[in-house]
Amino acid sequence: MRSVLVLAVCFIALAVFGPMFAPYDPTAINIPNRLSGPSAEFPLGTDALGRDILSRLLYGARWSLGLAFLISLIGLCIGTLVGLAAAQGGKLVDWIVMRTTDTFLAFPELVAAVVIAGLLGAGTGSLVFALSITSWMRYARVARGIGLSLKSRGYVVQAQLAGMSPLAVARWHFVPALVPSLIVVWTGMFARAILGISALGFLGFGVQPPMPEWGTMLLDARIHLRSTPLQMIWPGMAVATCVLAINLCGDALRDSLVERTS
Amino acid sequence: MLSVDRVSVNRGKTLALADISLSIEAGKTLAVVGESGAGKSTLIAAILGLLTPSKGSLTWSGAPVRSCRPALVMQEPRAAFNPALTLRRSVMEPLVARRANVPDDRLSRLCKGLELPTDLLDRKPGEVSIGQAQRVGILRALIDAPPLILFDEPLSALDAVTQKHTAKLIADLQAEEGFASLIVTHDLGYACAYSDDVAVLRRGRIEESGDSSAFVAAPCTDYGRTLRDAAIALGGLEIAA
Amino acid sequence: MMLAVLGLILRASVVVTGAAVLTFVLLWFAPGDPAMAIAQARFATVVSADVVDQVRAEVGLDAGFWSAFKDWIGPLLVGDFGNSSVTGREVWPDMANAIGYTVPLALTGLAIGLAIAVPLAVLAARNQGSVLDRFAVGIASLGVAIPQFWLGLLLILLFAVQLGWLPAMGARSPTHIILPALTLGLGVAASLTRIIRSGLLEARGQGFLPAFRRRGINEAHVSRDHVAPHAAIPVVTVFGLELAFLLEGVVVVEVIFGRPGLGDFLVSAIFARDFPQVQAVVLLTALLFVVINLLIDIFYRVLDPRIGEHDA
Repeated sequence: MRSVLVLAVCFIALAVFGPMFAPYDPTAINIPNRLSGPSAEFPLGTDALGRDILSRLLYGARWSLGLAFLISLIGLCIGTLVGLAAAQGGKLVDWIVMRTTDTFLAFPELVAAVVIAGLLGAGTGSLVFALSITSWMRYARVARGIGLSLKSRGYVVQAQLAGMSPLAVARWHFVPALVPSLIVVWTGMFARAILGISALGFLGFGVQPPMPEWGTMLLDARIHLRSTPLQMIWPGMAVATCVLAINLCGDALRDSLVERTS
Repeated sequence: MLSVDRVSVNRGKTLALADISLSIEAGKTLAVVGESGAGKSTLIAAILGLLTPSKGSLTWSGAPVRSCRPALVMQEPRAAFNPALTLRRSVMEPLVARRANVPDDRLSRLCKGLELPTDLLDRKPGEVSIGQAQRVGILRALIDAPPLILFDEPLSALDAVTQKHTAKLIADLQAEEGFASLIVTHDLGYACAYSDDVAVLRRGRIEESGDSSAFVAAPCTDYGRTLRDAAIALGGLEIAA
Repeated sequence: MMLAVLGLILRASVVVTGAAVLTFVLLWFAPGDPAMAIAQARFATVVSADVVDQVRAEVGLDAGFWSAFKDWIGPLLVGDFGNSSVTGREVWPDMANAIGYTVPLALTGLAIGLAIAVPLAVLAARNQGSVLDRFAVGIASLGVAIPQFWLGLLLILLFAVQLGWLPAMGARSPTHIILPALTLGLGVAASLTRIIRSGLLEARGQGFLPAFRRRGINEAHVSRDHVAPHAAIPVVTVFGLELAFLLEGVVVVEVIFGRPGLGDFLVSAIFARDFPQVQAVVLLTALLFVVINLLIDIFYRVLDPRIGEHDA
């Protein structure tokens, strides 16, 4: 658990403070120095417009990590509300909510996100919307499952008898029980969001230039694959490292959760 | 006064309760006895408003029972409490829900009556013994001074010595607080010793009902007689000489 | 049992219908003027307002929501996907053509993935805690974290640019499928390895197995008769999930490697606001998904009738 927290702090630090270490303005165009390899002046080289790759990489953390955080949080809120509504609402509500969830789940996430982002027009807003609306379902299922099993617990019945409003019951008795499982789901979704953002960026939807999002950087790098192959290594590595770190955290969390419940 | 009038409850295709009528006055105790599956839990759920009867009415002094905020003491003491919250927090829940206040000394007075050290309430459910947990459950039921308290097998999770003790505490508190109580139990000895009236439930119907001592002396039905004799044989019931 | 299966089929039909409606609603309410995009895609130049209006009327975009929906869903029920807004040709033949490029890629990728994952997972599970096991878990975790499109670019860099062994772009020859399939396959292998391994470990941990072993029952028999069915459930779940992974991966991989498959079909259709085409692809993938999940659900019921007790 401790390593998880350390890692989380590192990420947050990276996203918030990383750009302070950036030697250059990530959008500063510098044509004479374009497509140069790693050097003392530009540690990771420059891209086709002469922008410093290291700086873009550091600023990019804000986009890739920050947006992923936002998206996964939105999904968490929507999904938990939906799942709890299904668990609390009685058979008909449950059926409707579950069929709706299934309907959304029928579309592979990335394909749906591509369609939505593409149709809404490229941009950060469409990106956030597209990825949020294709990711809430997993939380909903978990929340519903746990909610249903909690409904018959003695203390939930007591709370209802005492006259607690459904909202208060949810807040005091359901949510605390949900937190461990939801956090595990959330780490997985956070990682997926990072991959999704970069994938959409790579396809040209999502975060638009000159914003230094890692996927968009890979799109730029692809064009110059033959001339400056190194350019494409860095953004990809950044994505892979972050996702790997989050997945490892998620695994550790899941293991500690299993230990606690058994 | 609790009035259950010709109540029937359907559970799926079967009739869990059929044409049940009973009544309890303030300060009195009715014990409902029967085997497993007789419908005792369904009766409790119906009275508490947790399910709707297909026929009949359940009222307290003419109004729906829910309006008098009846309390429930459960069979499994620890299940009645959220394991993550302190006992104090759980006990106060009925008051918090109603945004009500009670006199400061009520809590300490009740704790004394239930022989619970007040610092016990700052522990979590897992940190106290079963006997203590059940007494806290009773405390919670009493805190808002409801006129009616239902007891669902309140002693079955406790050991024999604790059973006797807890039963006495409940009776003493009832004399003090004046609530009506309905005790559901399969223990005929307990039922007859601590209740004014007893009703025998079998397969959703009331076989016989009436004054407890009268029942013990001379049950009206064969089934009642079987139950009584079995209870005597097991040693839980003694007939007053 | 039959009743349960029928219930599942009914559920699936509701979901498919919902998906169709959702697809249509999404496209209908998308911002921007689709007629303009279509006209531009058709004529490949900037067009005048008259032409745009003409296109709008022709494609039926000036009709109301309900009539447009009816016009779409009606033919759909008999398998007619309509005509492309851009080319005017029927959607199905072009889409089928694209599928013809995508399916071999997906299947080859899946095959490569299985060929790597299954032996690796089995060996890892059998030797839990060993160096091999830790290596397998490590490399699988790494594989899952690597974005597919980056992996594709790396492979292109290595095999096509530096070494010149394999072709990168297009789908002209059979060898053109190797790099894309490898890209897909490695990603699939990574995620399959993790899941198969943990499925096997979980099944092995079942309480009754040590008792069997103590009685000397042959290890292989234990594996086959008792571990396998229990491991089958998560593995089958995995196939359902892998399908999603494959579909998503295929879209991206096709774009990188310039293959004229379903991914390319979809992306161009989105840019051109060619609604019938977009709807057709989206609905087809959704349908595929739902059907496969339905089969998996039925399969679960057969394997373990207890499943489904908490279903809505």
